[in-house]
Amino acid sequence: MSERKEITLNINGEKVKGKEGDTVLDICRANNIYVPTLCYLEGLSNVGACRLCVVDIEGERRPNPACTYPARDGLVVRTNTEQLEKYRKQILELIFTERNHFCFFCAASGDCELQSLAYRYQMDHPRYPYTFPSLATDTLNDFLVIDHNRCILCGRCVRVCNEVVGNHTLDFGRRGWRTTVIADFNQALGESSCISCGACLQACPTGAIFSKVSAYRGRVDECQGIQSVCSLCSVGCGIHVLVKDNNIVRIDGANLTGPKGPLCNRGRFLQVYKTASRITTPLIIDKAGIAQTASWEEAIDSVATAIKDYRRRYKTSSIAGLISSICPNETVETFARFMHDTVGTSSLDIVDGNAYRTLAQGIKASGKSSLKLETESPLEAILGASCVLVVGADPLESHPVAACYMLRARTWNRAQLVVIDSQDNCLGSRADLWLQPNVGGMDAVIRALVGLVANKNERSDQPHKATSVTGAAQTSGLSAALIAQTADMINGAGQVVVVFGDGILDRRDPGLVTSVLELASLANTDGPKWISLKPRGNSRGAWEAGVTSGDGIANAKPRLVYLLLADDEYIAEDCMALAEQAEFLVVQASYASPLTRAADVVLPSPVWAERAGTYISLDGKAGRSQRVLEPPPGLKDDLEIIAELAQRLEKRRRMP
Amino acid sequence: MTKVKIATAWLDACAGCHMSLLDIDEAIIDIAKAVEFTRCPITDIKEFPEVDVGLLTGALGNVEHEEEAKELREKCKILIVLGDCACFGGPPSMRNAFSKEEVLRRVYIETESTKDGKIPSSPELPALLEKALPVNAEVKVDCFVPGCPPRAEAIKYALTELLQGRIPVLPSEMMRFD
Repeated sequence: MSERKEITLNINGEKVKGKEGDTVLDICRANNIYVPTLCYLEGLSNVGACRLCVVDIEGERRPNPACTYPARDGLVVRTNTEQLEKYRKQILELIFTERNHFCFFCAASGDCELQSLAYRYQMDHPRYPYTFPSLATDTLNDFLVIDHNRCILCGRCVRVCNEVVGNHTLDFGRRGWRTTVIADFNQALGESSCISCGACLQACPTGAIFSKVSAYRGRVDECQGIQSVCSLCSVGCGIHVLVKDNNIVRIDGANLTGPKGPLCNRGRFLQVYKTASRITTPLIIDKAGIAQTASWEEAIDSVATAIKDYRRRYKTSSIAGLISSICPNETVETFARFMHDTVGTSSLDIVDGNAYRTLAQGIKASGKSSLKLETESPLEAILGASCVLVVGADPLESHPVAACYMLRARTWNRAQLVVIDSQDNCLGSRADLWLQPNVGGMDAVIRALVGLVANKNERSDQPHKATSVTGAAQTSGLSAALIAQTADMINGAGQVVVVFGDGILDRRDPGLVTSVLELASLANTDGPKWISLKPRGNSRGAWEAGVTSGDGIANAKPRLVYLLLADDEYIAEDCMALAEQAEFLVVQASYASPLTRAADVVLPSPVWAERAGTYISLDGKAGRSQRVLEPPPGLKDDLEIIAELAQRLEKRRRMP
Repeated sequence: MTKVKIATAWLDACAGCHMSLLDIDEAIIDIAKAVEFTRCPITDIKEFPEVDVGLLTGALGNVEHEEEAKELREKCKILIVLGDCACFGGPPSMRNAFSKEEVLRRVYIETESTKDGKIPSSPELPALLEKALPVNAEVKVDCFVPGCPPRAEAIKYALTELLQGRIPVLPSEMMRFD
């Protein structure tokens, strides 16, 4: 992009500089010249709806909104004349009388942009009669409430929903003074296409949209704000956590209008009201099979004794370690070192090890040296794509913010969206083409597409084992025309990004991965563009740490399993099976689960908010999470537990 | 020094604003020295005399409120209103989304704890207005101190300014709507 030309303006008698393409408001903000705004939000389009930012511009007959006025060289602007300030106060009075702004019980009172402007302009009473309209409050969404009484129609929610989230649930309905923000075709938010990401809540300048989980729990100025990284999925969104009295009051997107800004309902809401039952003390199962509360010393002693015992009675390979990739790099590395160096076993895996091996083997089988984890496309590639092909993944469910990239690509880039998934798929109804092959028909469809794309492009340098379209249609239960249409769409697009997830990675069929990657290669002239939606918050970090052994640990049938689950709440079948076949099971976890119930010793583990560490996002970006809460009393950090275990194992037994 | 005469009344309100009037700490001593409270909820005097300052809290909810506001306006030189109800309508105006009939029916007949309820119709009771309104909807107000209730510093500021002979306008940092 060419450098934008510098321009000079005269604002309030001062010469200030800006860049061509800036608005007058941009330049005012960059030069610390205060201009009040309500409908403006950095990163969204400017609409000039609230008129609070009106400024006088020499040569114009009337005041103009600074947020929509393009700056040009030599422009003479006044932002603070008495007349303008009068207009601004008048606008506030009109806003206050237009709807029912009752501050005294509003959840946003104290954090409200409208209220703070009214204070600034000393609006101690509006000079206009109130209209007292009878307006509804929509409470049907699980997390969000829209109170139309407090809406000022600034449209920030509408724009963030459309421009950043890409879901376009919210828009304006009706006309003139009857205008309201509506969801879809004026449905209740809870019955609409809303994905409950809460971006609208964060964008709302008043209390018109508020959160059921955060309302009345603390104002911003009563809270401590901490920047961190969400570890619930591998997208790795930046979060800003508001904490009061060791409770999370609210979680905001660190940069709302940035690509990872909208967050998802899990990241924004579910963590605030966590109801799962925490494990807060070590537990040892007694001979009768009943979990007994134990001291840390007893529990660690019991684990160390068991490890020594199994080491003596069997080979060290009878002991295996399994760790969840929800843990930060530091924990994964320390755990691996402990198992390897202190326990002496190389039987080590991560809970999503099979997904990793399927991907790695699929990459290897492709025979292309350019294909590796490190050459995976960044999520930003989706924003530049003209076609996004989602295969065996339901990102709106599993990685919602990654789905927002796709929805945004559709909105801004007119990108076409193709979903191929055998399961129910939330993104399917939003896609241009939705292919639902039979379970088991996925292979055939992908291979047929590989054939069609290869033939069309004649770019393939090797003969294909491509399935015929009719064959694929038969196997998958799809129409041959639909498969051909999909191929046409891929062939017609310039940039195709292939995104795949658990529907491919969990199949343990590396050949399928190879086919998908081949499709990603053939669809683009400048190298494959693919993204794998990894299952856990730090999957990529754990995968790259190289801590997994061979084919995983299940075949070795370990007798003693040390499972560091942390706050991972998803329990895969293979993990459960491994735990059940173990003679002695140690589970280090935050929440009670079938795994902790199957364990011989349970060690309590902190949750994400109570630990710090680095995570690698699915597309390889490092993020650092901060400790935002003090753990419950008596809890130890995962690293501390491992260190104490190591110390206990290394200590020579002394005679009393 | 002649004392400044004040009369106060609470209209459609919860009493919180009058309480806050007493809740301004030691400043009340100086103010009490300088003013004479005539009719107010504490003195229980029934008539408004001619006063320098009239002070109202609460919205206009029924015809009596309306009458009192008008009468005090006539009897005072400066009228100051205290609190969200008097400035904006406040909590009483939350009923404005409904008609007067709906409100009365809901309160006296339909509430879950009411059995054989009846809407009071004694001619001695002041009739409810169609909508609860801020005081300046009916009479001219010279000074507004919003807040639910107004903070002590805001009340202190307003009264001190008045005693100094100035019509107070609350500075931004003292403004509160909650």
